[in-house]
Amino acid sequence: MGLKIELAQIRPKLGDVKLNLEKHLEIIQSSTADCIVFPELSLTGYVLRDLVYEVYKEGEKAVERLSDENKCIIAGLVKETRPGILRNTAAIIIDHKVDYVYKFYLPTYGLFEERRYFQPGDPKKDLKIFEYKGIKFGVIICEDAWHYEPIQALTLMGADTIFIPASSPMRRLSVKLGIQDNWEALLKAHSLINGIWTVFVNTVGSQEEEFFWGGSMVVSPSGEIIAKAKLFEENSIITEINLNEVRKNRFFSSFREHNRDFYDVLKNL
Amino acid sequence: MMPEYVKQKLSLDFAEITEYLTKRIKEYIEESGKSGGIIGLSGGIDSSVTAILLSKATKNFHILLMPSSSTSKKDIEDAMKIIKIINAEDKYTLINIDNITEDFSNLVKTTDKIIIGNIKARVRMILLYAFAQKMNYLVIGTGDKSEIMLGYFTKYGDGGVDVLPIGDLYKTQVRMLGRFLGVPEDIVSKPPSPALWEGQTAEGEIGLDYETIDSILYLKFEEMREEEEISEMTKTDMAKVEKIIKMVKTSQHKRLPPEIFRLSGRAVNSDWRYPRQWG
Repeated sequence: MGLKIELAQIRPKLGDVKLNLEKHLEIIQSSTADCIVFPELSLTGYVLRDLVYEVYKEGEKAVERLSDENKCIIAGLVKETRPGILRNTAAIIIDHKVDYVYKFYLPTYGLFEERRYFQPGDPKKDLKIFEYKGIKFGVIICEDAWHYEPIQALTLMGADTIFIPASSPMRRLSVKLGIQDNWEALLKAHSLINGIWTVFVNTVGSQEEEFFWGGSMVVSPSGEIIAKAKLFEENSIITEINLNEVRKNRFFSSFREHNRDFYDVLKNL
Repeated sequence: MMPEYVKQKLSLDFAEITEYLTKRIKEYIEESGKSGGIIGLSGGIDSSVTAILLSKATKNFHILLMPSSSTSKKDIEDAMKIIKIINAEDKYTLINIDNITEDFSNLVKTTDKIIIGNIKARVRMILLYAFAQKMNYLVIGTGDKSEIMLGYFTKYGDGGVDVLPIGDLYKTQVRMLGRFLGVPEDIVSKPPSPALWEGQTAEGEIGLDYETIDSILYLKFEEMREEEEISEMTKTDMAKVEKIIKMVKTSQHKRLPPEIFRLSGRAVNSDWRYPRQWG
């Protein structure tokens, strides 16, 4: 038996939490999936700049409203974790209970300026494993998938699926979409190495200069893209994930080997 | 010349680019709450390509032809060809700007062709904005990445627009996009010119062809290569490579909003960084 997941590739309106919440509810209420995953900062939009100082106020209220729904929901918001401290946050709602995870790696290069606004999550406290309908999963946000450790840690802690809400802006659109190639490679590598499902849910549409390319996808533990949303437009897709595919990878891979000595070396680098 | 390496890097999937830019124009107009877009069409490659994209994005568009005495007959004919291609025979207005330019020049008491040229560009901007306001449209700019980077535009003239759809495409890429969109070959391949005075051509003024200019811009600012290497790769004198880079640096003020002298605890632009979409 598998878990039906919906990749809700939406185009949030920048700064308009009320309108975005309505969009979330519309999708959730008409969904046949068990678990509905929205992109990074799905309730607020991504290119917020100084709007973060306003939108954080509405985020948690919106999450509260989402928690009335009878599903597993992952949605993105700006959360104030203590007065004056904001974090790029994903809310994980399971059977009306809300928990939060925070982005660890805050991109602050090129077009990104997250470190200007957000405090990073603390791996010692903020790595969390969730379970829904027999599937254990972890949630990391966008840039965290560009590093080994967040997914590796969650996997070793027990996750068999990693949900990755993202807001990946389009860059290097040439003959091929460079950034899409990069993401496919990353997800395949994470899936293959860890024997996990990786579920990438991207924002779509324009926000200021940037344009989020969509292309949400699910990669199986064998490294195959088994579902792919459209590029450049709003598109929700439903697919099913199961533990058999996880077993198929792990029976015939060396995932079970975990040599901690590497971490002793890494720790001192 | 454009080295094969750069040519490859600047190659694009033009079907996808067309879809993308069209979508963005459409979304930008929607988000702005305006009902369409207005564009100045010169008969050159940039405005031809942008006009075609605009016509794909919305039915609500209007074209201004604003020739002056320094506009060639061929340019006006070429603009009319584009109007025909996009079925806009009932969506354009032709305004000769000679009289109004002359009034300005007389008031300023100048015969300097550069000052008068800039007056022309700014008169066109005023007309575009007046029409835009009247029609509840946005002013769709036609500048390309090469011009924007070089600062090869008139501040608050052709630089005075609401949005720049092809502003991230180099001139040579705009030409390729033009071919893809069915812009007649003689428009694609004619020498680019602001036509602010008779006989003015961009490549004549800058002293290099756009294949070379774009290669230098790309290699320097996107790949951050050393100038010596760029000179070698493009088979261009160092002096000319340096000239292009200097043009980019000295025109930075044209690409930014005016500087505000800091006094308060929170000053616009400095630590006031709101998105355009605000409320």
